[in-house]
Order: sequence, then C-alpha cells, then structure tokens
Amino acid sequence: MVQFIEHSHLYNHDFSTASLAYLNRYPNPYAKHVKSSDTLEHCIDEDGRLRTTRLVVKTGRLPQFIKPFLGTSLDSWIIEKSVIDPKGKILLSYTANVDHRKLLKVEEYLKYSCEDGINTLVESKVKFSSNFVGLKQKIEQWSHNRFLSNISNSREGLKFVMNRLKERGGLWYRERDTSSLL
Amino acid sequence: MGNIMSVSFAPECTESKNKYDDCFNKWYTEKFLQGKSLQNECTEFWDTYITCVNAALVKQKVKPMLDKAREDQPFTSEEIRASAGTEKK
Repeated sequence: MVQFIEHSHLYNHDFSTASLAYLNRYPNPYAKHVKSSDTLEHCIDEDGRLRTTRLVVKTGRLPQFIKPFLGTSLDSWIIEKSVIDPKGKILLSYTANVDHRKLLKVEEYLKYSCEDGINTLVESKVKFSSNFVGLKQKIEQWSHNRFLSNISNSREGLKFVMNRLKERGGLWYRERDTSSLL
Repeated sequence: MGNIMSVSFAPECTESKNKYDDCFNKWYTEKFLQGKSLQNECTEFWDTYITCVNAALVKQKVKPMLDKAREDQPFTSEEIRASAGTEKK
C-alpha cells in the first residue's frame, strides 16, 4: 500500500519573501543533513514562468534494516523541479529522490500561493512508494513516519530563512546594493 | 555575517555557484518578480557555474539515474494553469 501525507501551513510572509526563501532554504539550522544544492537548468517558459531544475544532496539517515541494500553510499540525491508564476504568485515544486527508487520513491508536490498579498499558503502532498518485495510495507511506513516527524523541522527552517530575508527588508544582499552584480 | 549560501555538491564549483546565486537572487527579487525582466541576466555567472557542475557530474556514478529523473515532467501546462486559477490563453 502506497502511503500519502498531506499538510499545509500559512506563513505570514508575502510571496516575494516566501518564494525567495524557498529557493534559498538551504542551508538553515534545521536542515543540517543537507549537504549541497545546485541549479542544473533554468528557463523562462512561453507563459513567463521561471522553470528550474535543481539537485540537492542530503546525507542518508536511513534505518538499519535498509542499509545492507544500499552499498557504500549513504548520500541521497534529490531532484527538484519548480515553476514560479510571478503574476499569479504561485510556486509549484516537485521533489523526488534520484537513486534507490526501487527501494523507496518519495515524491513531494508543493504549492505556494498568495491570495491576500500578505500571507503565503504552502500546501504539500507527499507520496511514498516502494517496490521492494518483502520490505515494501515496512519501508513505506518507516519513511512516512520519518517524514511526519520532520515536517516541523522543514517549517522552522523555512521560517528561519524567511525571517532572515525579512530582516534585510526583502531585498537580496541589501547591504551590497552598491555592487555591480547586475 | 556568516556564509549563508549553500555549497555545491562539487567543492570546486561552490565559488562560481555563489556568484551565480547572488546574481540570480537579486535579479529574481528586483526584476523577475516585479515583472521588469523575463531574461535571466546572470548568464555570464551561469555559464561558468554550469560548466563546472556538468564536468563534475560526469564523474558521478549516480549520473545516469539523475539524467533519468531529469526527464520527469511533474507539471503539465494545463495543471499549472488550473492550479494558478488563471484562464487559458
């Protein structure tokens, strides 16, 4: 049986801050398992939306019963695809693990939306599926539980980054505005 | 202020990544979200960064799986429009 989690949270930050925080959510003190993040592709589509593909590498935090099947590498590679509509103030994101998909595939769909111009609603749907004969249910249940216990960390991490941006007045590197980056 | 930029999976690319991210974030906030620009204006930084990343990826065992995952198309245009509640063109 495939497992699902749905949850949502309202952040008291506007879309500009929330979406910038999403794009810069690592590193933060609540995500110490995240080692790196890289942009692999970006483009603006025919409707003026920014489409981005990124790679995030996390250290594996896996249960003992899975480790024997993974070989030596415990790092987890995550692909992240996002679409940002600046007019509609919508950000859609999809993240999924890249390797070990037979063992376990975790896919998260996120939607950031801002209707009142003040707050941003983040809705999340997560799907856990394993094709691993014998341990399938155990793996799905474990990852489901693990994800549930990590939700508050993800929220706190995002809030931390949002607040940090807010302190800068919503501008990126405000103190360095004199630089000629653009 | 400490380093708040994230690092690249390939340490040799972190410097070019930070330059690109810095430029991107500024462009994103001040131009893209404001409707002032539909072109990523950080191509100079991007070219250096992505060249470094692609060279580093080739050496990774996970690359074939990553390439496969990159083909995932999680969002169709229709889904995005429906989600955004915007009318079709």
